[in-house]
Amino acid sequence: MLVLTRKLNEKIRVGNDIIINVLAINENQIKLGIDAPNDVKIYREEIYEKVKDYAVEAAKRSTDKPEQDIKQLAVNKLNVLDVRKKED
Amino acid sequence: MEIITKQFGKLEFDEEIIIEFKEGIFGFSEYHKYILITEEEGLFYWLTNIEEPEIMFPLFSVRLLEENYPLIEGYEAFGIVRMDKNPLNITVNLKAPVYISQNEKIGFQKILDNDNYQIDYKLFVEK
Repeated sequence: MLVLTRKLNEKIRVGNDIIINVLAINENQIKLGIDAPNDVKIYREEIYEKVKDYAVEAAKRSTDKPEQDIKQLAVNKLNVLDVRKKED
Repeated sequence: MEIITKQFGKLEFDEEIIIEFKEGIFGFSEYHKYILITEEEGLFYWLTNIEEPEIMFPLFSVRLLEENYPLIEGYEAFGIVRMDKNPLNITVNLKAPVYISQNEKIGFQKILDNDNYQIDYKLFVEK
């Protein structure tokens, strides 16, 4: 792994087209600005990992059949969930 | 073409219905060719890989959940469903929808930069 030290507003260039800029530094948080071509996808790593793990799990469980008839249930609406959250 | 799936057994289909996922599904980037299976009266769609038919994702049409969900013109938005024996634990991924154009026969999965949507949104509540 390459380790570089940068100060506020100093940049890193990755390849020809990607520039990462240190925009702000707080005690335990830094804000980065990333300029990259549109076809370069940028993700927060923990979310990327979660989405990946979810798909793997969904494929694995795709043949699990619910034991109860789902037609007896209501499809959850987002606003229903919001209400439920407030009550919690 | 013909594939054999766990869920539906032998499936015969025309090559024209194959949907191309250039970048695949997250975690399955090496698989690109899918067909979308609809069950009569079923709630779910089944995105089935034809290169490896063991790989199948149940999908739920997001339009049914929320009118304001981020849509892309010409595409239908689906959430990947994680099945469970207890239906109250069935979840749908609203954070990373799968967009499919049935006309163009292309699809892709995208992570929304929006904190309002959960990865494991519970699909059902008791009536």
